[in-house]
Amino acid sequence: MQAERITYPKPDVAPEKKKKAAKKHAETWLLLFPALVIFVFFFLLPLFFLFITSLKTFDASRGIGDQWTLENYVKFLSDPFYLGVIWRTIKIGLVTTLIALVISYPVAFHISQAKGTVKNLLTLIVLSPLLISMVIRCYGWVILLANNGVVNQALLSLRWIEQPLTFLYTELGVVIGMVHVLFPYMVLSIMGSLERIDPSLIRAAQNLGASPLRTFFAVVLPLTLPGVFAGSVMVFSLSVSSFVTPAILGGTQVKVMSYLTYEQVAVLLNWPYGAAIGFLLILIATCTIILYSRILASSEKGVAIQ
Amino acid sequence: MRLPRFALRCFCFLVYLFLLAPIVVVLLSSLTTTEYIVFPPKGITLRWYLELIEHAEFMQSFLLSVVVALGTSLVSTVIGTLASLAIVRRSFPGKTAIIQLIGSPLLIPSVVFGVALLQFYSWIGLAASPLALILGHIILTVPFVVRLVVAGLVGFDRSIEQAARNLGAGPFTVFFRITLPMIKSGVIAGAIFSFITSFDDLTVALFIVSTDVVTLPVRIYTYMQYQYDPIITSVSSIMIVFTVVLMVVIEKVLGVGKVFMSKQQ
Repeated sequence: MQAERITYPKPDVAPEKKKKAAKKHAETWLLLFPALVIFVFFFLLPLFFLFITSLKTFDASRGIGDQWTLENYVKFLSDPFYLGVIWRTIKIGLVTTLIALVISYPVAFHISQAKGTVKNLLTLIVLSPLLISMVIRCYGWVILLANNGVVNQALLSLRWIEQPLTFLYTELGVVIGMVHVLFPYMVLSIMGSLERIDPSLIRAAQNLGASPLRTFFAVVLPLTLPGVFAGSVMVFSLSVSSFVTPAILGGTQVKVMSYLTYEQVAVLLNWPYGAAIGFLLILIATCTIILYSRILASSEKGVAIQ
Repeated sequence: MRLPRFALRCFCFLVYLFLLAPIVVVLLSSLTTTEYIVFPPKGITLRWYLELIEHAEFMQSFLLSVVVALGTSLVSTVIGTLASLAIVRRSFPGKTAIIQLIGSPLLIPSVVFGVALLQFYSWIGLAASPLALILGHIILTVPFVVRLVVAGLVGFDRSIEQAARNLGAGPFTVFFRITLPMIKSGVIAGAIFSFITSFDDLTVALFIVSTDVVTLPVRIYTYMQYQYDPIITSVSSIMIVFTVVLMVVIEKVLGVGKVFMSKQQ
């Protein structure tokens, strides 16, 4: 460090320097060591063993058989029922993302315009779903969406519906809960890009005679697209891999891939099959992220031009 | 411009209502005098909070969850901060791979991680225990700690550290007297975030718990599958109040917005 810089280079200093470099090297690994050990032993290894399990046959008595096979993957990908589950998982993800986007853009805009205490309070309300236990929030929805719950009673008394609607254990119920859980991620992402906009751009547009609406659509909206995009991908990938919300609000009626993984392992004790479903789920989530970084890389070039 | 602004306000009001609705419903339902959960509550009583006293298992689970969350947050903050120091300040072979490894739990669905951990634990013979839960939760929370601390370390003016070194301070003195105070907010945010994530985790814990070692979210989840009485809403209300208090503390120390904004980057 500094000591190195003020030492004048002498011929016999080389071994000293080497020693220092080695010491620094050792320090680096010492800093990384605790995290690496835990990650290798309690993250990489378990996932690796689970991957091996997914390539094994099912043995009714021991769960995991001895033979190597691709059967688990083939079985999942060739059965219309299971393909339906993949499609449902993706569909719920897409619908959730779309709804979250549509309702969170105005909110993000509203909050970014607010000032001081009001702004803090609104941010707190938006973040509250992140902080209150997911299990509890879902039970809140169970109470609200029940057949004789408040939502149905309100709709009935407004005469919008004749009979109570079934929300619980339907895809609609899962989507409602999912939007609620993932909403903050979208708002924060959009707010981030709204707040990065240079105010002089908006003033410039207004000075040039653009109406507020025109300013919004021609200046503000295009500049926030990266935030919109980042938020959408985050919400989508979190929703396809989430477990708690579909388990509580969808249960066995609305099976998604995460629930199927849980069911195979914890209920049916078919470890190899559950593991294979799990790895297909990882594949879907990872593909989303890769696709995202690809598009982001090209869209960043687009933003740079502006 | 009047009308759009008014429309925007109304719309946002509805969204805030949507966000708060399930929480308010849980809080109010816990006061009902009925034997089943109902909203709006019929009558007002604290009976269900008193009944909690007889359900000692909830208290045990609450304490276990707190212990696990504290352990997780302590270990993951320490090892995450150390790793962040290496990541930001040192260059070493395989750096990108290590950064990706530490970030990857965010990409892995926690169900899959839970299953993998259960299989691994049963193989190495590690039974359900606070330690087993803490190890799993560390994996879930270290990525957040690293992100928050790295954000604090980037743009850190190192000349102050060098000045301290030149004035004769040892590396530990420099770390505790200079570096740590300067990245304090990132470290605290990481610790609080780890605590909340661990305290709230159902998915991974669901696979690890045993009949004696049950965290609160798992206890609530399994209880609800068999019974539907307002005890569950009173437990939940206590948890909500607990979290709100925590939130106020975060707000006072750092500002909530700041903590969660950096989570996004």
